[in-house]
Amino acid sequence: MNQPTPIQIVFKNIHKADSHTLEVYLQGDGYKSMAKALHRTPEEVISEVKASGIRGRGGAGFPAGIKWSFIPKASNKPKYLVCNADEGEPGTCKDRDILRFDPHLLIEGMVIAAYAVGAERGYIYIRGEFFRESQRVEKAIQDAYAGGYLGENILGTGVKFDLAVHLGAGAYVCGEETGLLESLEGKKGQPRVKPPFPANVGLWGGPTVINNVETLASIPAIIEKGGPWYAALGVDKSTGTKIFSVSGQVNRPGNYEVEMGISLRSLVEDYAGGVKGGWDNLKGVIPGGSSSPVLTRTACETVTMDYDNIARAGSMLGSGAVIVMNKSVCLVRAIARISRFYRHESCGQCTPCREGTGWLAQILTRIEAGKGRAGDIELLEELCGNISGKTICALGDAAAMPVAGAIRAFRDEFVFHVEHGRCMVE
Amino acid sequence: MPTLIIDDREISVKPGATIMDAAKLLGIKIPHFCYHPGLSVAGNCRMCMVEVEKMPKPVISCAMPVNEGMVVRTDSEMVRKARRGVMELLLINHPLDCPVCDQGGECKLQDYALKYGPDRSRFHEHKREVPNHDLGPVIETEMDRCIHCTRCIRFSTEVAGVEEMGAVFRGDHMKVGPFPNLRSLTSELSGNMAEICPVGALNLKPFHFLARGWELQRQEGVCCHCAVGCHTNVETMDNRIYRVKSRKCPSINQEWLCDKGRFAFEGMVEGRLQTPQMVPHGGGSLTEATWAEALDRAAEIIKGVSPEEVAGLAGDWGQGAEELYAFQDFLRHVVGTPHLDHRLTQRDFSADAIPLGRADLMLNTSLEAMERADVIFLIGADPRFEMPLLNLRLRRATLAGASVWSMGPGYLTTNLENVDQTVVDPGEECRFLHGVWKAMRTVGRSGVANSWAGAMKKALRPVVLLGRYAIEHPQAEKVRRLAVAILEQAESVEVGWKGYNRMHSAAGAAAAQDMGVVPHRGPGYKSCSRVGLNAKEILEQGALGKIKVLVLLGTDPETDAVDPYLATAAMGETQVIFIGAYRTRAAQMAQVVLPGLVHGERSATVTNVEGRVQRNERAVNGPLMAREDWRILRALSQRFARPLSYDDLEGLRTAMGREVSGYDPNVVGSMKGGLPCDHGSEVIRGLDWDPGSIATTGADEHHLILVVKPSFYRDTTMSRGSKTMAKLDGGAQLRIGAVQAKKFRIVSGGRVSIECNGHSAELEAVVDERVDGSILLGSGQELRQLGGDRNGFLYVRLKVL
Repeated sequence: MNQPTPIQIVFKNIHKADSHTLEVYLQGDGYKSMAKALHRTPEEVISEVKASGIRGRGGAGFPAGIKWSFIPKASNKPKYLVCNADEGEPGTCKDRDILRFDPHLLIEGMVIAAYAVGAERGYIYIRGEFFRESQRVEKAIQDAYAGGYLGENILGTGVKFDLAVHLGAGAYVCGEETGLLESLEGKKGQPRVKPPFPANVGLWGGPTVINNVETLASIPAIIEKGGPWYAALGVDKSTGTKIFSVSGQVNRPGNYEVEMGISLRSLVEDYAGGVKGGWDNLKGVIPGGSSSPVLTRTACETVTMDYDNIARAGSMLGSGAVIVMNKSVCLVRAIARISRFYRHESCGQCTPCREGTGWLAQILTRIEAGKGRAGDIELLEELCGNISGKTICALGDAAAMPVAGAIRAFRDEFVFHVEHGRCMVE
Repeated sequence: MPTLIIDDREISVKPGATIMDAAKLLGIKIPHFCYHPGLSVAGNCRMCMVEVEKMPKPVISCAMPVNEGMVVRTDSEMVRKARRGVMELLLINHPLDCPVCDQGGECKLQDYALKYGPDRSRFHEHKREVPNHDLGPVIETEMDRCIHCTRCIRFSTEVAGVEEMGAVFRGDHMKVGPFPNLRSLTSELSGNMAEICPVGALNLKPFHFLARGWELQRQEGVCCHCAVGCHTNVETMDNRIYRVKSRKCPSINQEWLCDKGRFAFEGMVEGRLQTPQMVPHGGGSLTEATWAEALDRAAEIIKGVSPEEVAGLAGDWGQGAEELYAFQDFLRHVVGTPHLDHRLTQRDFSADAIPLGRADLMLNTSLEAMERADVIFLIGADPRFEMPLLNLRLRRATLAGASVWSMGPGYLTTNLENVDQTVVDPGEECRFLHGVWKAMRTVGRSGVANSWAGAMKKALRPVVLLGRYAIEHPQAEKVRRLAVAILEQAESVEVGWKGYNRMHSAAGAAAAQDMGVVPHRGPGYKSCSRVGLNAKEILEQGALGKIKVLVLLGTDPETDAVDPYLATAAMGETQVIFIGAYRTRAAQMAQVVLPGLVHGERSATVTNVEGRVQRNERAVNGPLMAREDWRILRALSQRFARPLSYDDLEGLRTAMGREVSGYDPNVVGSMKGGLPCDHGSEVIRGLDWDPGSIATTGADEHHLILVVKPSFYRDTTMSRGSKTMAKLDGGAQLRIGAVQAKKFRIVSGGRVSIECNGHSAELEAVVDERVDGSILLGSGQELRQLGGDRNGFLYVRLKVL
């Protein structure tokens, strides 16, 4: 099997020895984009990013340039830039590689973003489990301060940006941007009611931009080579490259940076070494992290990995965590496991999510244990409808979507479980 | 003004308003659990979802700001479906046993379940079981029923300012409860948590399982347990009060009520006088009598001495304006004596010579305006435990950035922010305030007084509050004048702002002043030709036998007067005619006992600390034989040459309204809440004063100064009869500073005895580092045994037991 040479934007340095050091980073033209950006106006930087068409890589896929332009120019409160490095979506491990192998790329991207929106203070909110990663980032920040890439007067341009790391405590919900802000403020990580959105009222009440690690790490290349160059990569409204974390029953699981719009089959076969037992042994794929609905094999044949095409196939690109399942997998068991995760991670604040995730998990666990009741599947479907779109944050949707999606795609398997009290896979 | 359409009706609202606000204006009720107008928006229950055109998902109306041209539906199929979904989810883990729940019948969950809930459960898993908490005497918990709306949490942190409630764990393991290791809620407002709990999770412990909401009859009332005059709903059944709830009044109590206002009524029926009594001719003990016999006897006693030998003392807690007016009218015009007073707790009467007007005696900053204060001086005031609902206004001000400067003999356990506390030794108050006054006239010095002066100088909306300690201070008038003088020196005060406030917490004090139950002037602040003896002099002259008959109206001087031993002596030497409701010591020592009624048993006019005149109507009937106090006085006057001129309540109120402005019965009866701070006079300014100090404290190595902290929960006969108040009060305690504790080898929890003028009291000691040098801070009724003070301060000896 030949692995094609991928285009590498975010992962351009990670294969180098000691790629996390400032020295190696500078050898690869590090911080040149930043210097370039600081000599342009913030408006020019924002329009460059807008032109690139890059969409948020954390899961929601909101265009980053537009997000930046929401930040009010004048504000009587300080503005903040926050990097969301609380990579918690099951199956996702892309940001981790950026943090540990190329922290300077993230820092460079953050300085550019901060300059564009007028923030003088930034935070990198790293999930608690990434302890060693956070140490690497801390060291990189220290080196960047020493090298004049952060601080009061960056590269002598008079631009000011202070950056600090905040280590979370491992709650999935703190990956939700307002839950993250609450946690960053020292409170219990519970998402806020929106509106107001963070662009107006964010961290400590100030206008705040929150971007994913991968998004920010893509910024230096966009500034270096231009928005149009980036927009030419990928397809249509899904521009540039995306890192996919391929896991599950594949021969070479791992993070692969590819152009958007690659076919799922190519990603799995050409990059991840193919499905264990061959493509014909494929049962389904969860294409965008545990919160995205599972795709059947039929859908997997044709779907391409970009925001719109996956959405048309009935799922979503999400964070780019591709979980491949072959025919040895009991889908009921897999979904029950995912449901228990969401029950555990629900913050408990709002009714549909607090009560609904618990109920979903209990029903699914019961079905899995062979104690399903007639009507359980319909109840699950209705319950998913009562959770989706009714909660404060997207965690409710994240819990409901995989269940509803799995029932839609593999209903017979659920029915078999309920009727026979056992799995059809065994 | 954005205009929107809700359920086909158009409305314009102010920018920033939410859909919920707009719907409220239209009278459209949107179901909700977590939303509460007095709290921040949490948006967690999801019950108030509505459909907004062009929005794909239902939105929560409590948090969604309105936009121009919005089209909202509050009862579409989408909305009903969403609510049905939320209700089912709320009910899966909620017990479905409304018949045994204390909230049954007044539960929002129950009501909405009827409208939106499924008729049977689809939940076949295990229901969540949540352990209960012991939250002290006010709140009973059934945490299984909690729906996690967080109203109690938001109330305690945002409104009460005491962080005691929180939520631990996440998801469906989330548990609402008190902070760990909390033995009992400490907030004086904790009852509100049960009131705002939308389900049966937090209930009122004293009311628990006593009655159903629908069995109770509701009467609107005005709370008379302090001088704020909160609006209440008094709920009764079978001629008994079961529960008192807050009634919304934005300009007084907003939506809240303190625990005292909620439960002090329990003492209403304890130890009541049932029938008239009198000591028969020729002596003996008190025996039951008919009204006619008792009144004849009383008249005979009064007529048996010359008018100048009769004096009257009225209580300032439980009396309405009607009986106070009749009382002074009776003494002045029927009996013909000028000796009457209600100020039993006061030590300094020197201001009577001026005399003080209405503005000098009450608040000049209305409760509502207090929220806008930017600099607050607390002079011998503990607003939190004198008038909790006034304190809430101050708290709002401090949350908005106001600074608080407090001086007094002890520290305050306060829930205000930005408080700077200065402990001033008893007797040094004038010296300290004079220092502040001087500092305001000079510049650039440092020290505590200068920080005070600096703050006041810059203040735009300063508020000076004279509290109970300042009012009862032996140099009260000097302290008061200094406060006025300091306020006069403030340089940047907003035009029209009034910052001087004398904060008398007794519910009847303002009315007693208005009605002229004072020896130096008549009703309506009119001067009178003959100036009589004041409260202190009446007791002194009584003890000397110069006053021969004492007419008491709703007061027991032994518990109310500054010096209980002087009061006992006075009552022992005089013939006492007691008009009142409770079997107190005064009633036992009387020659004639005439049983009266208390608040809640009769229609009365009450005046709050702002001078706002309100009506408190009857909710229950008193003891069968008891009568309204004014009727007793009227009947008594019948036995004199010139009886009182009014025969009914209307006549009395008309007479009262004629003489005292603000009491016109047509106005009082029709107005909701009366006018605050409408005194018709200004604070007297620019008075000469001598800022001298009492020849200093006089504490030596054998003597310490005891400062008795008045009990908030048990300061009236009624509240002393309440079991809940007794539990909240915490009993007698003596707080001793670290230095003294070391010297006397006292440890916290140990028993000590304190002795003063040959009297002694025993109580529990608590070592408290915040107590200063030679001061002891005491609380509890036991300390009354120590008797009166010398120069206004109690010099005591301490002994370890």
